[in-house]
Amino acid sequence: MASRTTTNRSLLALAGLILLGGGLLVLFAGFDLYRRLDVAPPAAWPLTGPDDVLLGSADRLRWSDQGWWWWPAVIAALVLTVLLALWWLFAQLRRRRPGALPVGGTPPREGVELRDRALGDAIAAEAGGLPGVDHADVRITGRPARPHTHVDLALTPRAAPGATLHALCEGPLRAARRSTGHRQLPTEARLGVTHRKPHRAE
Amino acid sequence: MTSEPDVPDRGGAPSSRHRAAAVPAREPGPPAHDRPAHDRPAQDRPAQDPPTHDPSAHDAPSGAPDGGYRTRRPWSARRLPTALVATVVLVAAGAALIDVVLVRAGRPAALWRRRLADELAGRPVDDVWVLAGAAAAVALGLWLIVLALTPGLRHWLPLRSPEPGLRASLDRDGAADLLRDAAMRVPGVGAARVRVRRRRAKARADVHFRDPRQVKDDLTTVLDEERDRMALARPPRIVVRVRRRTR
Repeated sequence: MASRTTTNRSLLALAGLILLGGGLLVLFAGFDLYRRLDVAPPAAWPLTGPDDVLLGSADRLRWSDQGWWWWPAVIAALVLTVLLALWWLFAQLRRRRPGALPVGGTPPREGVELRDRALGDAIAAEAGGLPGVDHADVRITGRPARPHTHVDLALTPRAAPGATLHALCEGPLRAARRSTGHRQLPTEARLGVTHRKPHRAE
Repeated sequence: MTSEPDVPDRGGAPSSRHRAAAVPAREPGPPAHDRPAHDRPAQDRPAQDPPTHDPSAHDAPSGAPDGGYRTRRPWSARRLPTALVATVVLVAAGAALIDVVLVRAGRPAALWRRRLADELAGRPVDDVWVLAGAAAAVALGLWLIVLALTPGLRHWLPLRSPEPGLRASLDRDGAADLLRDAAMRVPGVGAARVRVRRRRAKARADVHFRDPRQVKDDLTTVLDEERDRMALARPPRIVVRVRRRTR
């Protein structure tokens, strides 16, 4: 999960920098800021004054006269871009699930495995019975050797989140660690409160 | 799955360097009143406890009776903006690829490509549309950079967690509901609205009877108590405003 966050954020920053740089380049030339600010752009600067166009005929000629390798290179670059964009898009839709967890650590002792859904349901059932919890929902993600637990708790309006969190830790999560033998089971808990209309105190 | 006490690796070697601390130390099930002693930054601590598990190391509320591990704020994976950017890149590159391949195969270039090239070649940079497009690109680029650098998930308030492997956060609206219910329990309060933000929670209450000043004092006490029951990693300051309304 963390790696996906990092990749996404790096690529978002890259896309943002490209847009920002291109936009600033056009704006500087369009408002003729080089002349007004009295700075000289470097020699091969693409846009320097308000009369420039984004795609001059000189550019078009230059690009279509590059030799036999130019178009294959363009096609290869485009294919690569399309494939990367596809991979990037599907990485957002996919959620990695372990399928089955080895019980008793890795490698599994005596080949016992536990379905990730079964473990999630067991944690959810136990967490749903904690005082102050209205409803619990648990998903297991990650790799079999390093499962992550995502716990969504809907608390009753009279609950104390601190105490509930403590109970969650001492009860269902500890039991899950014991019964699977995963001594670390990184957990992300999201606590909400079941919404209801305000009402007068009794 | 039940909480049976038979733990396979209990008492085994202090394996798994990641977890060496915390859980073995807590495994015997310390009652709640034991924890402060463990969390206290004491000098007589077992040496194998890595310093990172000392809550006072992360400017946590070290003196608090229920210290807990102050968890990092969760960072959003930014899936939706990423998916949008990926889709735009995919469509643009895909269309260009198809057209370039068709042109190489001897077909004329598509209409959109000729139009685009003509527009780009015909409009000088100080044309209104070019400038507007550039300004939009700058704004969008800045927005993407902000998205990339900020944590997001502003709606989730991180909680102090009882152990380092657990990260927990509480929904802001949920926190507001809890505070509002607590406010409604104060005698004299007829209606209450609470808005929770990350640093500050604002509670406004209508007082139907009793002295508003007294009600305000009660509200402050009750809401502070309720806030402390939430175990927020960064408790918001609570601002109470009351007004008299008799109907």
